[in-house]
Amino acid sequence: MIDEQMAVFIGSGLRLAVPIIFAATGEMLSERAGVLNLSLDGMMLMSAFTAALASWATGSPLIGVAAGVLVATAVAAVQAVLSVTLRANQLVVGIGFNILALGTTTFLYREIFGPLSRDPIPGFAQLNLPWLPRIPVIGPALANQTGLAYVSILMVVVTWLILKYTSFGLAVRAVGEDPRAADKAGISVAKTRYLGVLYAGILAGLGGAFMSVADSNTFTENMTKGAGYLAITAVIFGGWNPWYTLAACLLFGFATALQFLVPALQLDVPVALLLLLPYLLALVAIAGLVGKSRQPSALTIPFERGG
Amino acid sequence: MAVLELSGLTKRFGAFTALDDISLQIERGEVHCLLGENGAGKSTLCNLVFGVHRPDAGTMTLGGEPFHPRGPAEALQRGVVMVHQHFSLVPNMSVAENLMLGRASAVLKPQDIIVRMEQLAAEYGLEIDPEARIEDLSVGERQRVEIIKCLLGDPQLLVLDEPTAVLQPDEIDALLAICRQVALRGKSVILVTHKLGEISRVADRTTVLRQGRIIETVAMEGADIRSLVRSMVGRDVQSAGSVLAAAVDIEGKTPAKPSSAAGPASPGEAVLQISDLVYRDPHGVPRLDGLSLTVGTGEIVGIAGVEGNGQTELGLILAGLAAPSAGAIVVGGTSVGGCSPQEITDAGVGIVPEDRHAVACIKELSVAENLYLGAIGKFSRFGLLDKSARRKAAEAMMRDFDVRASSPDVSMASLSGGNQQKAVLARELSLDPLVFLLAAQPTRGLDVGAIEAVYNRIRAARDDGLGVLLISSELEELMAVSDRIAVIYRGKLVGELAAGSFSREAIGAMMSGHAHV
Repeated sequence: MIDEQMAVFIGSGLRLAVPIIFAATGEMLSERAGVLNLSLDGMMLMSAFTAALASWATGSPLIGVAAGVLVATAVAAVQAVLSVTLRANQLVVGIGFNILALGTTTFLYREIFGPLSRDPIPGFAQLNLPWLPRIPVIGPALANQTGLAYVSILMVVVTWLILKYTSFGLAVRAVGEDPRAADKAGISVAKTRYLGVLYAGILAGLGGAFMSVADSNTFTENMTKGAGYLAITAVIFGGWNPWYTLAACLLFGFATALQFLVPALQLDVPVALLLLLPYLLALVAIAGLVGKSRQPSALTIPFERGG
Repeated sequence: MAVLELSGLTKRFGAFTALDDISLQIERGEVHCLLGENGAGKSTLCNLVFGVHRPDAGTMTLGGEPFHPRGPAEALQRGVVMVHQHFSLVPNMSVAENLMLGRASAVLKPQDIIVRMEQLAAEYGLEIDPEARIEDLSVGERQRVEIIKCLLGDPQLLVLDEPTAVLQPDEIDALLAICRQVALRGKSVILVTHKLGEISRVADRTTVLRQGRIIETVAMEGADIRSLVRSMVGRDVQSAGSVLAAAVDIEGKTPAKPSSAAGPASPGEAVLQISDLVYRDPHGVPRLDGLSLTVGTGEIVGIAGVEGNGQTELGLILAGLAAPSAGAIVVGGTSVGGCSPQEITDAGVGIVPEDRHAVACIKELSVAENLYLGAIGKFSRFGLLDKSARRKAAEAMMRDFDVRASSPDVSMASLSGGNQQKAVLARELSLDPLVFLLAAQPTRGLDVGAIEAVYNRIRAARDDGLGVLLISSELEELMAVSDRIAVIYRGKLVGELAAGSFSREAIGAMMSGHAHV
């Protein structure tokens, strides 16, 4: 009984962590290049909605994911134009996008699906790998995931490899740390930052699409519930390191999953408090860590070539 | 045959013409020095050649082909490399990573870079640990990394913008030797400097720039150094005396006892007493390690040292911008160690900080506001600011200290560096009470005229009985102004020389930790 509940807890913790892992991993790379995408939540929300819509219209969740990623990338492209080329304040741009995304998706959702629709949409099936459930507790938890969950871990590995072993990754680190030096070494600061932001957009898109077509098989208004902000927090919590960021995302995922575990164990804790927990955790993490881990020196600072 | 040919090059920044109709040829295998004061256009010229800026008029050719780089990337690709005044290295990355930046294949191959570094070490004697992080290296070592970075791609033309300003004497020798080695291998070198001593040791030809124009280009064989100085400053050398000699580093021309010219010093009782000062930075690295120093009234004590040996931290602590980890600082009987800047000012300490733009003034505010930044309450009546009174007071102060601005209401940013510094000096020397002045790198980035004014002010303050601590990276400056020079090395004073016994060699040796006197 306890084993079963633990399996459910771990499974749902992982499932809830997946969209944050996607978004945080992309955001981590973008921030290493010096651009903060506060619009992450908006990108995810737009993607979640578009994925739901496309999947519903075509019957293919894969097309849904592709459409979601496409839209999130488009949002990222606009963010990049504003924050890299036009050197706008990255925080203001991000907040603007989030409000716009919430308004747009809510409006379109009500127009297209009707105000209180709970129509299920075509989603991904769980993979149910044959040999996994034999491992106790963790086995069933891992087995009950969709393919996209595995992709999220794969993206952490890929991002780590990019940063450590490729010249693009080296350029990203240099541009986020000292864009002037990078520029003088012949690297295009703007191009590197554009690619960083687009990368964040693609991954945020995957994270958002996961929410609607792989996790809940429906779209609800403001369904990201601040997951994008949690992802940004996870990047800080993880000290801009891919593995620590992954750990932070998992922590947030499990903290959210407590709302299923605690009632099941018949503990007397208000569910509302449990809902608050991940956000409270994020706040504590940031308060405890700010100043200790070093952020990329040029984060949020637009680059302008000068003498 | 000319590697680089410039003709009619002009560059304007707004209404200011930085370069005006520059025509110049750089030959293959030559070391070509660009000589000029601050603001003469040397750096701008380099930036045009390296594609950082684009000319408003004129043409460039490189190896006979038209050359109009749209950015550093294009200049690099054509074989033009540059070591900037401010290093372009990413501090938290390793030497090898910095060298791979911008020129590596899709997947990084650190081994290739290490092999190439070994070749360069053998060829030019440029040795450095590829795994070391830039932020852990000394200034001289960082510059070596910059030069290695430049030579990796086997360039045609190496541009060095004021490379010796940050080096200690033996490092300068090594750098000049490397320049000759590079030229010997058929590459060309453009070396920017305002120090004549270096030019006569390394240059084949020298071009003198003044106010954005070429004054002359001369072959160094048999050239008259004095006439170069005249071209550079546009007036006769004799009139400027030791100040100019100090500013341009004429080898062997520095007077033996320069400070005696301004009247003998008669140090009295101690006004500043520092004992066993220890400072650890936020990472726990000791920057000051048991430093003790006394400055008397009517005395200028110079602190010599290679940058990064604790003199910056000493300045910050005296200004109240950093708190010492241990030790005592007493000014005129009042203990000020770890006190706030306000308390330190009240104790009678004037501060000319090292970083003028970040600490000494607020560029966006007016000159008058800056002059009375610490005494806003002085012109307040019933809680309201009496601007006309402040304006009048500011005007008087500007007249006294020869701060040239069209009005006290113009922004500090619109003043030249020299006038900004004079304004800072005016404010600090007008404090009441005032018993001690800290001047940290007070002439950095100033032209000869302003340097002279700053020296005169500091000497006058000394003659009025003030104790002065002068922290400077310019040896000639210290020798020209100080009554006593103490040498700082790794956070400690390692030796001291009195006026009359100053020698470049002795100070240089102490600065590199080699000898004690």
